[in-house]
Parts: sequence; C-alpha cells; structure tokens
Amino acid sequence: MDNTTYRHSVSIGTGNVDCNNVTNSHNKIINVNNAIPDDNPEIMQWLSPLDPRGRHQDVRTGRLDGVGNWFLETDQFREWRSKEGGADKAVLFCYGNPGVGKTYLR
Amino acid sequence: MIDDLCDRPCEEEIAVSMFYCDFRDQHDQTATNILGAILKQLVAKGQVLEHVQKAFQKAKQEVGGRGLRLPDMVQMLKQAVATLPRVFICIDALDECLPRHLLEILVSLDDILDESPGARIFLTGRPQVAIEIRRYFTTGVIVPISPKTHDVKRYLEKKLEMDTEHYAMSDGLRADILRTILGKIPETCLGAYMSPLHTMF
Repeated sequence: MDNTTYRHSVSIGTGNVDCNNVTNSHNKIINVNNAIPDDNPEIMQWLSPLDPRGRHQDVRTGRLDGVGNWFLETDQFREWRSKEGGADKAVLFCYGNPGVGKTYLR
Repeated sequence: MIDDLCDRPCEEEIAVSMFYCDFRDQHDQTATNILGAILKQLVAKGQVLEHVQKAFQKAKQEVGGRGLRLPDMVQMLKQAVATLPRVFICIDALDECLPRHLLEILVSLDDILDESPGARIFLTGRPQVAIEIRRYFTTGVIVPISPKTHDVKRYLEKKLEMDTEHYAMSDGLRADILRTILGKIPETCLGAYMSPLHTMF
C-alpha cells in the first residue's frame, strides 16, 4: 500500500476528509476532530469556543516526514500505546526546553 | 505522534483527541474550555452525544442559557471516555497555560483516569511542568526530549534545498551552515533545567 496516500486518507484536522474511509486492516478512527457533527454547531460552541483543528493542521504541514520518528520506537511510547498497560501506564509526559521538537514528535 | 496513532495498523477502535496550548490565548484556554475542546472531538456522530445533548438541553432551558462549569465538563468527559472503546487524549505545551488552569486540567485528567484506567494521556511541556505531572500522576512515565543530530541534519538539508535564494548559496556555505549548527546541538540539549530533573526522576 502506498503509505503517503494512505496517511492522507486518515489524517485528522484536514477539513472534510472522511475518516470512515479507513481500510479494515487499520484502526477505525471514530471521532477525530473532523468527525464533529455539522448539525450540532450550537452544542459544539457550548462545549468550547476553542477549536484546535487549525493548529493541528499547521503542525502537520510544518512537520518533516521522518523527523522525530525515533520517539515512536521507544519502549516508553510503545508501552503507553499498547493495550496491555493499566492505569500505571496511562500518562506519558515528554519534556524539553523550547524548540527541542516536542510538538513535532513523530 | 497523533497521526501515528491514527495510521497504525490495529484491530481495535480508538478515539484520538488533542489540544495545543498557546500562551497568546491563555485567558481563553481555561480548563473548562480545553477539556471542552477535547470532548468536542470525542463526540462521534450520534454515538456518545446522548448525555451531552441532554446536558445541553437542560442548560439551555435555564434563564439566559447556562455556561458550563468545570465539574459539569469533567462529568461529561468522564462519561464520554467511559463509553468509548479506547481514548487517547493529547495536550501539547502545558507550560503555556496559566498555572491555575494547568492544575485544574491535571486534577481533572486524574479524575477521569480513576474511572477509566484504560484511557491514555499524552502531555508535553517545558521541564518545570514535570514536577506538577509527578505530583498528580505518580506512576506517569516522564521522558526527556532532545533534538537528535540526524533529525536536525535532515531538517536543515530540507530547508537549504527549499531556499528560494539558492543563487546566493554555494557548496562551501552549505557545508559551513550544517557544520556550525550541528556543532551546537550538544549545548542546546543540556539546558539549565535538565540536570536537576534527571536526578529527580
């Protein structure tokens, strides 16, 4: 499968991209931000006036593929992401000085 | 990281929500509003909405329509997280929140985890925030992030390649830029905050 094409099909925060197009072999992403129902703008506004979609798109655009990939291979990230961990593995905090690339980890 | 969660092959259903804190917006980025933005993303089409919808209708009936309070928000978020199969909540740059908002967010997340220990929370921030994280999440995993030389090199090479004023560039200058910047990485990594934290955790 062409990874680049695929990634675009499930990217979050990219406007009208429909996440239900995810193929069966991958996570069914329910509820990423673009899945916010359009028929409930009043409820959405009531829940919060903030909308992180624009910022997420900026980060995705500014990120260079491959940079920060090392983090995804760390034991800490894998354990946190895995199904097995209980409450003691629930929180993962990455810290660093400004500009080290925390936001752009990949 | 967020894209990786979404793209990774896996058979289970997951829900990913995220928020980027920004000091320029810190007065509006209250705990209630941030958690509300998280909840918005967890509200799937016709799935979790029921309890949220009921709460909304109830609030609307009150005189002038009632704004949300933090306990109401936490309750709704708790219910959403408990209903969904697997929830990932990611919040970036916690140090950009006002301190009182930060504490409220951490207490609320802790509260949510008490009821849904399977939920996964990913947080980032400057080193000083680690102390607060440790206070609320005693078993939380704390990872220092520092720039990797190969990442910086890759990034620089790409930037140089895309330089619009390429006529002003020569091989010698390009090599100088790479050498000078890459040579400074060790200093950048060892910020003043790092040493005490490494001994603390």
